[in-house]
Amino acid sequence: MLRRLLSLYGLLFFVFIYAPILLVVVYSFNANTMNMMVWSGFTFDWYRQIFGLPTSITDSTTYVDSSAQLYAAIRTSLTVAFSTSVFATVFGTALALAVARYRFRLAGFYRTLMMVPMIMPDIVLGIALLIFFITIGMNLSILTIIIGQSTFLISYVFVTVSARLAAFDTSVEEASADLGATPMQTFRKVTLPGIAPGILGGWLLAFIISMDDLVITYFVAGTGNTTLPIHIWGMLRRGIKPEINAIATLMLLFTVVIAGVGLYFRSRRTK
Amino acid sequence: MPAHLEVVAARKAFRTPEGGVMTALDGISVKLASAEFVTLLGPSGCGKTTLLRCISGFETLDSGDIVIDGSAVTQMPAHRRPVNTVFQRYALFNHMSVARNVGYALEIAGKDKREIRTRVGEMLDLVGLAGLGKRSVSQLSGGQQQRVALARALAGKPKLLLLDEPLSALDKNLRQKMQQELKAIQRELGIGFVFVTHDQEEALTMSDRIAVLAHGRIQQIDAPSVLYQRPANLFTADFLGESNLLPVTLGGTTATLADGQTFATPHPAGRATLLLRPEALGFALPDGPALSFTGRIAETYYSGKDHQITLQTPAHGSIRAVIRAGGQSPEIGADLTLHAPAIGLHLIDEVAG
Repeated sequence: MLRRLLSLYGLLFFVFIYAPILLVVVYSFNANTMNMMVWSGFTFDWYRQIFGLPTSITDSTTYVDSSAQLYAAIRTSLTVAFSTSVFATVFGTALALAVARYRFRLAGFYRTLMMVPMIMPDIVLGIALLIFFITIGMNLSILTIIIGQSTFLISYVFVTVSARLAAFDTSVEEASADLGATPMQTFRKVTLPGIAPGILGGWLLAFIISMDDLVITYFVAGTGNTTLPIHIWGMLRRGIKPEINAIATLMLLFTVVIAGVGLYFRSRRTK
Repeated sequence: MPAHLEVVAARKAFRTPEGGVMTALDGISVKLASAEFVTLLGPSGCGKTTLLRCISGFETLDSGDIVIDGSAVTQMPAHRRPVNTVFQRYALFNHMSVARNVGYALEIAGKDKREIRTRVGEMLDLVGLAGLGKRSVSQLSGGQQQRVALARALAGKPKLLLLDEPLSALDKNLRQKMQQELKAIQRELGIGFVFVTHDQEEALTMSDRIAVLAHGRIQQIDAPSVLYQRPANLFTADFLGESNLLPVTLGGTTATLADGQTFATPHPAGRATLLLRPEALGFALPDGPALSFTGRIAETYYSGKDHQITLQTPAHGSIRAVIRAGGQSPEIGADLTLHAPAIGLHLIDEVAG
C-alpha cells in the first residue's frame, strides 16, 4: 500500500514538472486557430508560419509579421551566446586554474567572490550594469549584452572547471614535469586534456544560459539588439498565440541537443 | 668511485597549518656512487619523501646543495633535471595509450617517431609488457600499471631513477616479484636508484646501502648486513628487525649484564647497550663463552619454519627469541633457558632511556 502511494507520488511529481513542457510541445502541433487549448487536429502550420512559409491559416491570429525579425533575433542571440560563452570559458578556466593551483592571500575569499554572481538577483545585476554603462558613457549595444552576460557566466564556467580540477590528480602534472615537459607543455599535454570535459561542460552551460537569459539582457540591450528571449517577450505582450508553442518547442529542442552533446563528450572523456 | 649524486647539508622546513614549523630535513648529507641502489628507509614523517622530492625538484631546499654528476641542480626546475621518478600511485596519463605514456619523455624531447617507437618497444620488453603498447592505461592491472610507470621513467635514459614507495600498493606476492625484477633491471641498466620505503624487509632485500632516516636526519647509512648486525644507535637497532636491547656496564675488558653475567669485550669503560637479535638465541648451550637467560614463556607463535618465543625473565624483562622448529615445542607457562654465544657481540654506545 505504502509502496503504491510512493509510486503514485513519484508519478505525480514528474507530471508536475514535465506536463507543462509536454503540453507546449503537443499544442505546437494543434490545428485549432481559435482556441489553442482545444485539440482539433495535427498540423505543422505554426512551424511553417514562423519560417514564413505558406500556411492554411486564414485569420489574423498570428503575430509574426515577418520572419525576418525572428531570424534577426536568433542571429543576435547566437552571436551573443557564442561570444559570451567563449569569453566566459577562457576567463573562467583561467581563474579556476589560478585558485586551484596557486597559494595566495585571500584565495578562499576570491573563490567565494566568484560564486556570488550566480546567486545575485538578476534584476539587481541588470540594474547595476545598466547604471554602470550609462555612467561610463557606453552606448547600449550588442557589446554591452556580451559584457553584461559575461559578468555572471564566468562564474558558471569557474564552478564547473573548479569541480573538475578538484578531482584532478596533480601528481600527473608532476610526472609530466619530471619527464622533461616545460610548464606550458604540461598544461597542453596533461592538464588541458584532463580538465577538458569540465571546460567543454562549462562552455555549453554558458552557451545555453546566454541563449536563455532575459532579465539581465533586457536591461543592457540597446533598442536595435533584440535577442530571441526579448523578441518572444515582446510577442507575448500582444497575447498568447499558438506560434509561441512552436518557437518554445524549437528552443527546447536546441537546448536538449546542446546539453546532449555536452553529456556525450563528458561520458566519452571520463571513462 | 666518483659521487654521482651528492646531497650536501640539506635543510627544509615546512609551515604547519597550525602555524608551527616542521623540520623535514635537518642537515642531511649523502653521497651516491653511480650504479648504486640506495634505499631511504624510515617511519612516516621522517623526511625520506621530502628528500626525494628535493632531488627530483618538486621541493626546493631552504639551504644546502644537490649535485648530480658534478653540477649543482639545487636551483634547477624539475623538468630540467636529469632524473626521473616512479611515483607512489604511478601518476600515469590516463588519456594516453601505454606506448604514449612510455614514450612521453622522448616525445617532449622532440625525438623522431621511429626512434620513439623503437625505444618504447625496448622499454616494454624490459618490464615484461611487450605487445601491450596500444592498450589504454585504465585497462591494465595495478601491477601492469606499475610496470608502465617504471618503463616511462626509464625511457628517457635518466642518470638517476627515484622511486617513491612504488611497491606499496601491490599485494605481497607481486611485491616480492617486483622487488627482484627492479633489482635485476637496476643491475642491467647500471644506473643509480634512490628507493624510498618504510618497509624494512624490502630495504634489506634490494639495497646496496640503506640510509635510515628519523626526525629529518640520517641515523646511519651502511650496507644492509652491517646495518642489521652492527647498528650505530638504538633507533636503527630497534627500527630494523627485532631486537633485544640489554643495558650493560663496561669495565675495560668485560661487560656486565643486569643479572651479573659477564662477557669479554674490547669496548672502553662506561655504559652501553647490548644488541641481541632473537635468532642468536637457542635451546642448546654453545661451545665456548655463552650468555644464558632463564625465565617463563609468556607468548609463543609457531610460523611453520620457526617458533617465536617471548621469555619473561626476572632481570631483563621480556626477551624475544626465534628458534628453528623441530625438536621440542615450547609451551606458554613453561620454564625455559635460552643460550647465546658470547663472541663478537655488538654494543651500542647509548643507553635506553
